Amino acid sequence: MTVQLNKIVCGALAACTLAAVGATYAADKTLTVAWSGGSVAQAERQTFIAAFEKANHARVDLKASELAVLAQLESMVKIGDTSWDVVELSGGKLPVAADKGLLEPLDYSVIDPQNKLPAIAREKYGVVWGTYSTVLVQNTSKNPKGKKMRSWKDFWDVKTFPGPRSLRAWPKENLEYALLADGVDKNDIYKVLGTEQGLDRAFRKLDQIKPYVPVWWENGAQSVQLLADQEVYYSTTFNGRVEKLVKDKVPVEIVWNGGALMRGFMGIPKGSKNIDLAQQYIKLRVLDADLDRQYIQQIPYPGFAPGLMDGLKPEFIRTLPASPENLEMQFVSDDQFWKDNIAHIQERWNEWMLK
Amino acid sequence: MDHTSKHSLNTTPVPVRRRVWPVGQILLLLPALLLLLLFFVLPNLDVVRVGLFDPDFTLEHVAKITSTRTYLSVFGNTIQISLVVAVLGALIGYPVAYFINSRPRAIQMKLLLLILVPLWMSVLIRSYSWMVLLGRDGVLNAALMWLSVTEAPVRLLYTSGAVYLAMLQILLPVQIIASYSAMTEIDMTLVRAAQTCGASAVQAMRRVFIPLSMEGTVTGVALVFMLSMGFFITPALVGSRKDLMLGNLVMQHVQQLNWGLAAAIALLMLLATLVVVVLIKAAGRYLTRWMV
Repeated sequence: MTVQLNKIVCGALAACTLAAVGATYAADKTLTVAWSGGSVAQAERQTFIAAFEKANHARVDLKASELAVLAQLESMVKIGDTSWDVVELSGGKLPVAADKGLLEPLDYSVIDPQNKLPAIAREKYGVVWGTYSTVLVQNTSKNPKGKKMRSWKDFWDVKTFPGPRSLRAWPKENLEYALLADGVDKNDIYKVLGTEQGLDRAFRKLDQIKPYVPVWWENGAQSVQLLADQEVYYSTTFNGRVEKLVKDKVPVEIVWNGGALMRGFMGIPKGSKNIDLAQQYIKLRVLDADLDRQYIQQIPYPGFAPGLMDGLKPEFIRTLPASPENLEMQFVSDDQFWKDNIAHIQERWNEWMLK
Repeated sequence: MDHTSKHSLNTTPVPVRRRVWPVGQILLLLPALLLLLLFFVLPNLDVVRVGLFDPDFTLEHVAKITSTRTYLSVFGNTIQISLVVAVLGALIGYPVAYFINSRPRAIQMKLLLLILVPLWMSVLIRSYSWMVLLGRDGVLNAALMWLSVTEAPVRLLYTSGAVYLAMLQILLPVQIIASYSAMTEIDMTLVRAAQTCGASAVQAMRRVFIPLSMEGTVTGVALVFMLSMGFFITPALVGSRKDLMLGNLVMQHVQQLNWGLAAAIALLMLLATLVVVVLIKAAGRYLTRWMV
C-alpha cells in the first residue's frame, strides 16, 4: 500500500514538475482573467487571447467567474491575496466594486493613449469591452395585419397589439421603458426617475401593463424560450439571443427604438500582481478593431474600438447594439444611477410585484 | 426494551464501573468536530456577526426587515410554502416508503434507486424539466388537449401550483428515504404479536407500526421544511410574480454586496426555521401519543 502510494506521489510530483517546466518554457508570465464562461470564453480565446499570448510571450488563464464575481472579488481583496489580474464586470456591478474599493484605477495614458474611445466607454475603474442591448422583440406573425411595434408606446397599446407579454423580473430598464412609453424623452429618463414623482409615474405606467404580463423572466435563456414557445408574443430580451430564434424559424424582429444599451466593463482587481501586463491586455481588448471584428462575428457584443464598423456588411452592422444608427435610437443604462438607487427601488418593486 | 428485561433477569451482581471519559473515542471524533467547527460553526457565527454588527452592535438590519411589509409578507409566504410542501411530502412519501419496505429485499434496492437517482440530479435541471412538462406547448398540455379535456392550452406554468408541484417532486425523495429508514428499523414481529393478541390489521397498523415509524417520518418532515425554506431557483423559474421567497431576497442583497441585510434575513430565517422545526417535532410526539 505505502509503496503504491509512494509511486503515486512520485508520479504526481514528476508530472507537476514537468508541467511547471513546460509552462516556463512556453511563457514568461501568466495573466489571470476572470471572464464569462461558455461560448463567450471560447470566442475570447480564439481572438484576443491568442493574439495577446503571441505578442507578449505570456500565458492567459481564463477563469469562468460570472456567477458570484463580486463576492469572490471582495473576499480576495479583503484577504489581500488577489489571484485575478483582469476582471469582467457588468455595468451593474462596476460601480458596486468601485465604491467598495475593489479595483485599481485604470491608467488611460497606457490603455487609450490617443484618447480614441468615446466618453461612455471610459470610467475611472473600468473600460467598456463590449455592449449589448436589452431590447423589445416582437413575434411578427402575431401582429395584426400590416402593423408592427415601433416603440414602447406600442408595447403598452394592448388594443392594437393584443396578446401576452413578458418583461424581466427586476426594476432596471423596465422603469425606463415605462417612462418612454409615457412620453418622457430618452435624454430625461434618469432626471425624471431620480424624483419621487417620476418614480410614481413609472410605476403607475407599469400598473397599466401588469395584467398583460403573465410571466416575468429571470434569465436570458428563459426570455427566448418564452418567445419560441409562443408563451408570450412580445418580450424584452438580450439582443445576442435573438439570432437563435431566427435560426429556429421563429418570425421575430427587434425594436431597437427605446432599447437599453448595456455596457460590459473590464477592470483590474485591487492588488493584482501583474498590473502592467493587465493594462496591456485591456488595451488590446478595447482598441484592436481587427480582433474585435473577428470576435463580434462569433458573439455580437461590439466594443468601441475606433474603426470597428469599417468593412462590415451594412446588414450585419444593423444587428449590432453599438452601431451608429442603433446607438442613436437607444438610451444608455445609467449604472451609477442604479447603484445609488437600487436599494429603495428594489424594495418598492418587490412590493409592487407582490400586489 | 428487550435488553432491559434480560438484564433484570440476570442475577449475577454487576461490578460497579467508574465513569471513565472515552478519550480514544473523543480523539477519533476530533477530525469531524474540527471540520464542523471550521466549515459550519465559524461561518454561521460570521453570519451572525455580519447581520448584527455594523461595525458595532446594531439591530438596524433586523428592524428594517421586521418593520417592512414586503419582507414580512415574503417571510409568511416562505414559511407557508415550506410547511405545505413538507406536510404534502409526508402524506405522499409515507405510503411510498411503506410500499418499498413491504417488498422483498432485492426489489427494495431497485425501488430505492428509482428514488435516489432524481435526488442526485441538479435542482436546476429538475426545475427546467418542469418548465418543459408544464409549458403551453408542454407534455401535459398536449396530453390534456389530446384527451379533449381542454381545447386551448391551460396555464400550468408560472403559477403557485407549479411551485408546490416542482418543490414537492424535488424534495419528496428526502421524505421517502427518512420514512423508509425508520420503517426498516421496525421489528415486524411486534405487528404480528399485536395481531395475535387480537388487534385487527388496521389497529395493528395504527397503534404499532405508524407510531414506531413516526419519529423518522417527522424528522423527514423537518428536513423537507428546512430545505424548502432556502429555495429560490425553483420558485423564480416556475412560479408567478407573487412567489417570492426569502432566498430570492437574500440573492438580491448579496448581488449588491449588501451583506448586512442579507445576513439579517438569513438569521431571521434560521430562527424561524428552528422554531417551526421544534413545533413540527412536538406535533409528531403529540400525534404518536394520541395514536397509541
